[in-house]
Amino acid sequence: MIRLQNIEKVYRTSAIETLALNSISLDIAKGEFLSVMGPSGCGKSTLLNIMGLLDAPTKGDIKIDEQRTDHFSDKQLAQFRNRKLGFVFQSYHLINDLKVLDNVELPLLYRTSSGNERKKLASAALEKVGLSNRVKHFPSQLSGGQKQRVAIARAIVGRPEIILADEPTGNLDSAMGSEIMDILLQLNATDNTTIIMVTHDEYMASKTHRLVRLFDGVLVQ
Amino acid sequence: MLTHLFKLIWNKKKQNFLLMTEMFVSFIILFAVFTALVYYYQNYHRPMGFEYDRVWKFGYNAPREISDPDSMAAFRGSVRQLIRSMPQIEEVSFSSENIPFGNDNNVGGVNYYKKNVGADKYTVDDSYSAVLHVSVKEGRWFSKEDDAAKEKPVVINETLKKSLFGNENAIGKLIGEGGEGMGNMKIVGVINDLKDKGDFAGPHNGLYRRVDTGNYGGGAILLKVSSDADRAFESRLFKVLSSTMRNPDINIQHLAYMRTRINNIRLIPVIITLIVAGFLIINVALGLFGVLWYNISKRKSEIGLRRAVGASGHSISGQLVGEALVLSTISLIVGSFFALQFPLLNIFDLPALTYLIAQGLAIAFIYLLVMICAFYPGRQAAAIYPAVALHED
Repeated sequence: MIRLQNIEKVYRTSAIETLALNSISLDIAKGEFLSVMGPSGCGKSTLLNIMGLLDAPTKGDIKIDEQRTDHFSDKQLAQFRNRKLGFVFQSYHLINDLKVLDNVELPLLYRTSSGNERKKLASAALEKVGLSNRVKHFPSQLSGGQKQRVAIARAIVGRPEIILADEPTGNLDSAMGSEIMDILLQLNATDNTTIIMVTHDEYMASKTHRLVRLFDGVLVQ
Repeated sequence: MLTHLFKLIWNKKKQNFLLMTEMFVSFIILFAVFTALVYYYQNYHRPMGFEYDRVWKFGYNAPREISDPDSMAAFRGSVRQLIRSMPQIEEVSFSSENIPFGNDNNVGGVNYYKKNVGADKYTVDDSYSAVLHVSVKEGRWFSKEDDAAKEKPVVINETLKKSLFGNENAIGKLIGEGGEGMGNMKIVGVINDLKDKGDFAGPHNGLYRRVDTGNYGGGAILLKVSSDADRAFESRLFKVLSSTMRNPDINIQHLAYMRTRINNIRLIPVIITLIVAGFLIINVALGLFGVLWYNISKRKSEIGLRRAVGASGHSISGQLVGEALVLSTISLIVGSFFALQFPLLNIFDLPALTYLIAQGLAIAFIYLLVMICAFYPGRQAAAIYPAVALHED
């Protein structure tokens, strides 16, 4: 599903060069639930951003669904992300000025769909994460766990094949974290969605199919 | 997407209120400035209605020792003959002081039965139309046949005709000098409007009465001179007339110069308004630019998220420009409501078309300003890499 070959990422400033990822090669199969662990600053989020086409590698190739993405234009990248990928972030990244339903509808705004269709799909996604009763709330009226569930609903509303989750339980207490993890596990099991999750939590990582570890930008396990 | 933008703007109405107020105030000021400019432009392109080139004004006070009307008439006759005898003089006309481009005004009421209007009143003689090449639209100009007329003959301009009679025929009708009832002035002719208050002045009611040469007093003599009338001739003319008038209070001015002077006087307030409006527009542009720029830095996380879920750089810049345009549209709808009251309530008595053109120009200007101010921040937002934007939250 996802193939990374010799991925290298260098951050350059006028003064220094930082090698964030060094020669990363990784294959992730369709329907796999992979967790990525490692100490802070080891390049986990950078790797996730590169897999999510949110950032470009300095060197190396990425293939998603047998498609090379390095020649994609900005518009093609945007469309690809919209169709194939869903994102869940540690800090939720909800738009505070939009109600829950409108937040979930967001990915559908960038494809051709009617208002009614968007509403229907967003409501279904919210039902899936158990938040049907919060559609008219603003994010500021929700708890951290609820916010993350909204973010998951937003990630799955467009039925992507891949979900990239960057420390989805990082800001939550263990009970809330377990709830979110259960939702992700269920998505993986029922919809065969490929999930790549960055986490610091060994327990959460143990629930996934495979665990890879990063250290100083190098894949060590 | 438009519904989404409206939702976003509505949910941020408090933050957007100030910006919309700024746009609204700018629109109203621009509307006022454009109204003045359009009005001036329309007036500038109206036909002049007369020729002022090579027309000189000789201002005078008649000699005090002449007291009876017959002597005054004889004196004026001899002055006319004296001037007319000079080869450089083509035509001579006695007139009241309120000649074209002058500072003097004589405004009073004119009525047709119960209909009363204000009008500029001019006292002129039979050769006035020949000096200024005034074209008569209906009827005729004053002539010798008016000497024995029972009613006072008057000529009116087109605007006064429309004010009093609409599309009816005016010739032969009796009008008065204000008040009610039938007047004793008989309309013998209708002339084109004369732009005698400068190129930028609007049309006004004009009533032309025939001069009584026996009346004591001063006034103006309009002289149509030939093309070879130079400074030396002007000096000679001045000397001849000053000795004839036996009065030091005389002057000669060229109508072309007077026109330039009155135009400048009319332009000064417009130029001042334009400068003030220019500063205001710069202020609004900077404000708008600043707010949109601030929006980008404040909404970097949102921009990153939108990029992550499928927005291209183009659609991000489109969204930011679109939001600014929706905000300006709301402000313009409110502003247009107020602007439309001007033609509907006939405020300042300007033509409705002037207000409508000014409104259109003000709307176009605000949209242009908003697009220019939103374009660069929009482009900057489009260039933000999603990973960077998301990381900064």
